[in-house]
Amino acid sequence: MRPTSWREHAYHALLWLVALIFFAPIFWIVLSSFKTADQILAVPPKLIFTPTIANYTKLFSSASFPHQLFNSVVLSVAAVLIAVAVSFLAAFSFSRFKPPGTNFLMFLLLSIRMLPGSAAILPVYLMYVGFGWKDTYAGMILFYAMFSIPFSVWILKGFIDGVSPRFDETGIVNGASWLRIITRTILPQVMPGVIAASIFNFIFVWNEFLFNYIIGGISTSNIPVALASGLYSNGGVDWTFISALTSVYIVPPILVVYFFQRYLLVGMTFGTVRGEV
Amino acid sequence: MSRVRLQGVSQSYRGVKALDDVTVEVASQRLTVLCGPPAAGKSVLLRLLVGLEQPSEGRILIDDRDITDVPAAQRRIGYVPQSFALFPHVSVFDNIAYPLALQHVSRAEIALRVGQVAEILGINPLLSKRPSQLSGGEKQRAAIARGMLKNADLFLLDDPLVGLDFKLRESLMEDLKDMRAELGATFLYVTSDSLEALTMAEDLIVLDAGHVVEANPVAEVYHSPRHLRAAELVGFPRCNVLAGVLDAGGLCRTGIVDFPLSAPTNFVGEVAVVARPEQIAYRADGAPATVRLMENLGAECVVYFEAGGQTLVTSVPSPSVAHLDIDSPFPFVVRGEGLLVFDRASGALVGRG
Repeated sequence: MRPTSWREHAYHALLWLVALIFFAPIFWIVLSSFKTADQILAVPPKLIFTPTIANYTKLFSSASFPHQLFNSVVLSVAAVLIAVAVSFLAAFSFSRFKPPGTNFLMFLLLSIRMLPGSAAILPVYLMYVGFGWKDTYAGMILFYAMFSIPFSVWILKGFIDGVSPRFDETGIVNGASWLRIITRTILPQVMPGVIAASIFNFIFVWNEFLFNYIIGGISTSNIPVALASGLYSNGGVDWTFISALTSVYIVPPILVVYFFQRYLLVGMTFGTVRGEV
Repeated sequence: MSRVRLQGVSQSYRGVKALDDVTVEVASQRLTVLCGPPAAGKSVLLRLLVGLEQPSEGRILIDDRDITDVPAAQRRIGYVPQSFALFPHVSVFDNIAYPLALQHVSRAEIALRVGQVAEILGINPLLSKRPSQLSGGEKQRAAIARGMLKNADLFLLDDPLVGLDFKLRESLMEDLKDMRAELGATFLYVTSDSLEALTMAEDLIVLDAGHVVEANPVAEVYHSPRHLRAAELVGFPRCNVLAGVLDAGGLCRTGIVDFPLSAPTNFVGEVAVVARPEQIAYRADGAPATVRLMENLGAECVVYFEAGGQTLVTSVPSPSVAHLDIDSPFPFVVRGEGLLVFDRASGALVGRG
């Protein structure tokens, strides 16, 4: 085995340093969640302290937080499942049947995603109030699914393009239905793309604040809205609440990214780089 | 039984004809090779037969039954596509069993029949592997096995040996011929490789630019082609085409060889004379020429030489030309007997020397 050179040691040390710098805010917030308000704000910061779970007890015993956590999970999971299912079928159609104007339609799809949320908020709000969808699970899930579809179609089309149509034809010649070809032949081959699209959508919906704040309400508010609405307490910023809530809030995305990080790379390249996934 | 007939079949893509008024017959229980240069329309013809595309015009019949509008799945045709198209997420066994699984055949029968076809193709030890664990040749065998497993009397193979090394191709060619004989089925085999066509075929269909140039038993196509393009496209090394003139007395002059036709003809005018490589011999008292390229194949050596401003090719025993090099003199003679004479304008056969 080749001995490690000092350059490689220096390079690894630099990587660790950068990683630790990026990890520092997470470390700080998680550490703070086990401190009292005085300990959080102490200067210099207290690294040696008696940890307390009082912040978590208070958080989970509040009337609204468990419900908001439940909402975040339900809205994210449901929207992702619907978005990915619809996007997969749309991407398959674009990839295989190439309807006239496919390139323009694909551009339109992506341009919708490029639009800042604030540009769409008023018409969406008026529509939701008009239809009676405001602060309903179905309405919120529908909105998040629709907002997630364009990017998912882009990701999945790249993956499906990479699956040879000869696979479809083998199915057709041997008497397989389109549904069977899609679910048993194409889907398993583009699973990395499906997972990548699901991760991106999950993180988007999990972090979404603006639309939940405007077209959501007490029944459907999620954790970002809970964070904003519980920010101030007793005339100042409630750091104990923020640190405990944020520590809970970041767990699902961290777990998702940790376990599925290899799919993120292939997802970001729209399937053009396969990778060993 | 599976006699295939195409009647006036054309196929266009955005106004460009890939196949133009093709009428041809594939004899039952024979191994017919469809050959031609790239973009001749071979794969298009196969896709029409298998039902992956509908012809713009014409009818397709199998055993006198019109199947032009019959869906692909109901045609009972075994198909081996050009690419392997092996599903990467399932085992080789499941890949091969795919047609039977779709027909809801019992597991026991699937296992039996997959085992049989795998035995013939020598891939039994590979059945539990994934396609990604196979070599190119093994993948091709698995793809052929899947195509062969379907309950069918007609099998279409789209250039199944392309890209494989020579030894592997040789072995698979034998396997395919044995398999055809064992199944007693009709095989239509597509290739753009002239040597492969000659090796495999019982009957040969020569396709060029969307037209059937010739369809006959392979020996007939090679020795007595009816069209200049068939002579040009079938043969290895390629044939030599000499420009010549046929006079009213039946004498053909090419500038390299002059010879009389063996039978009288009314044709007079410009002709193309086809000399197969074996009709040209290296002889010390022959016409002068210069070696331009030599390809030593072991026992034989393919020599490309320049004579009268034209590059000709011949195949001679290697020892006889071992002393030659590029630019060496290469005296040669062309035997007039058996030379094929075609109308240069239409390509039709006029006569032979």
